[in-house]
Amino acid sequence: MASISELYDVTWEEMRDKLRKWREENYRNSEQIVDVGEELISEHASKLGDDIWIIYEQVMIAALDCSRDDLAWSCLQELKRQFPDSHRVKRLVGMRLEALERYEDANKLYDSVLQDDPTNTAARKRKISILRAQGRNTDAIRELNEYLEQFVGDQEAWHELSELYINEHDYAKAAFCLEELMMTNPHNHLYCEQYAEVKYTQGGMENMELARKYFAQALKLNNRNMRALFGLYMSASHIAANTKVSAKVKKDNVKYAAWAASQINRAYQLAGRGKKENKCSMKAVEEMLESMHITMS
Amino acid sequence: MAEPELLLDSNIRLWVVLPIVFITFLVGVIRHYVSILLQSDKKLTLEQVSDSQVLIRSRILRENGKYIPKQSFLMRKFYFNNQDDGFFKKTKRKVVPPSPMTDPSMLTDMMKGNVTNVLPMILIGGWINWTFSGFVTTKVPFPLTLRFKPMLQQGIELLSLDASWVSSASWYFLNVFGLRSMYSLILGQDNGADQSRIMQDQMSGAAMAMPADTNKAFKAEWEALELTDHQWALENVEEDLMSKDLDLSGQ
Repeated sequence: MASISELYDVTWEEMRDKLRKWREENYRNSEQIVDVGEELISEHASKLGDDIWIIYEQVMIAALDCSRDDLAWSCLQELKRQFPDSHRVKRLVGMRLEALERYEDANKLYDSVLQDDPTNTAARKRKISILRAQGRNTDAIRELNEYLEQFVGDQEAWHELSELYINEHDYAKAAFCLEELMMTNPHNHLYCEQYAEVKYTQGGMENMELARKYFAQALKLNNRNMRALFGLYMSASHIAANTKVSAKVKKDNVKYAAWAASQINRAYQLAGRGKKENKCSMKAVEEMLESMHITMS
Repeated sequence: MAEPELLLDSNIRLWVVLPIVFITFLVGVIRHYVSILLQSDKKLTLEQVSDSQVLIRSRILRENGKYIPKQSFLMRKFYFNNQDDGFFKKTKRKVVPPSPMTDPSMLTDMMKGNVTNVLPMILIGGWINWTFSGFVTTKVPFPLTLRFKPMLQQGIELLSLDASWVSSASWYFLNVFGLRSMYSLILGQDNGADQSRIMQDQMSGAAMAMPADTNKAFKAEWEALELTDHQWALENVEEDLMSKDLDLSGQ
């Protein structure tokens, strides 16, 4: 089996830089990390210097994702030898126990870390992920709420909580979490769009209006967000189709929906230009928009 | 009356001025590394971490509250500022100003600060004064009054010498403060060799208690939040958006 460096013709520096890029941008491409990292560790360990420890950590987590327990174990041994009393390494030990489904042992380990250092966020978050892995969603929600009471600024945690609430169909609370995220990241179009979707799902005239506004905001932040464009079309049509709205509101929303539909058409046209099937796909888009048109039943 | 210009032996420049610069610089670098070695771990309590995050959240609410709906903004403002049980009104942290005498960790910190900074300065200043004494080292470019003579002309017993001519000890002190910017170039910001910053810290002294700050910080946040209003940024977002076609190109 050819090694990565032969297959792709890259040097070890390039492999190391690729790993760093994946680490900094939080990619979860575990199989690739395992392949590249394993080769880097086995062949070029001496050249990496002090970088090797953080690469061990990265490869170990990726190995757990791919069920490569042998690789994870060897990385862990190296790290334990170098950093015998480190909380960070203890977290990795706990993660391996979680991967083996030994949740009790993992929990005991995290509790000991927390006794030593009550401000350690990593251990608390792992405990919550254990609850989630066991399917105990309500317990996870409760623990996560307590965690967030102490550490209000943790955005990852807010996002996780919003996902949990959506799973439990508690849309009002999910909206609250997403509002926190929108405040801390006002230029992130994805949070606006998720918030709008939650509001749309909640239903009701006020929420529909809010949904439409936030879909528009998401589009303003990123003109190419197709989901937001469709969302705008749907929410505007929904409001327009409601018999209880005033004439002005109805007219405005019909205008918005028409504009959204024209933009959708434009988008598909631009995407399909130069291809033979463009005419057919344009017709398909027309029909799709027609079928999505909301009528009050 | 214009004094005739004194011509100094160029050996002075070679063997006095430059060595003092080097000595001061090297001592500063050594101090930086020693302070890193002696640094004790600062353990933050859960409460401190939590409080700092709450303050950040409140500030973000003030700055970016206009991106969330009015109802949500008011709900959060109410949570923080409510008369009876708003967070800022209700939470009072225990104010224990850590005086150096009672708080052992503060005491050792102060001692370490003194040892690494003040002591070397005094020792080396004295040594330089003893070694390089008896001659004039350099001239400050601005005229000084006679009152400065005993301070700056240690060891030079000439009554009629202009006070601008100074001895090596004063050149040493000039270097200590002058090389600060060199240290930040070479050792990066926040380095342990920065003498004047240490002295500033000592002056603001033991009263830099975090607890007292927290209560005041809460009060300040409460006032600021009371004053903020909600101007919804999404008022006219549809009109803004639809004024022109979407830009569907790009990566």
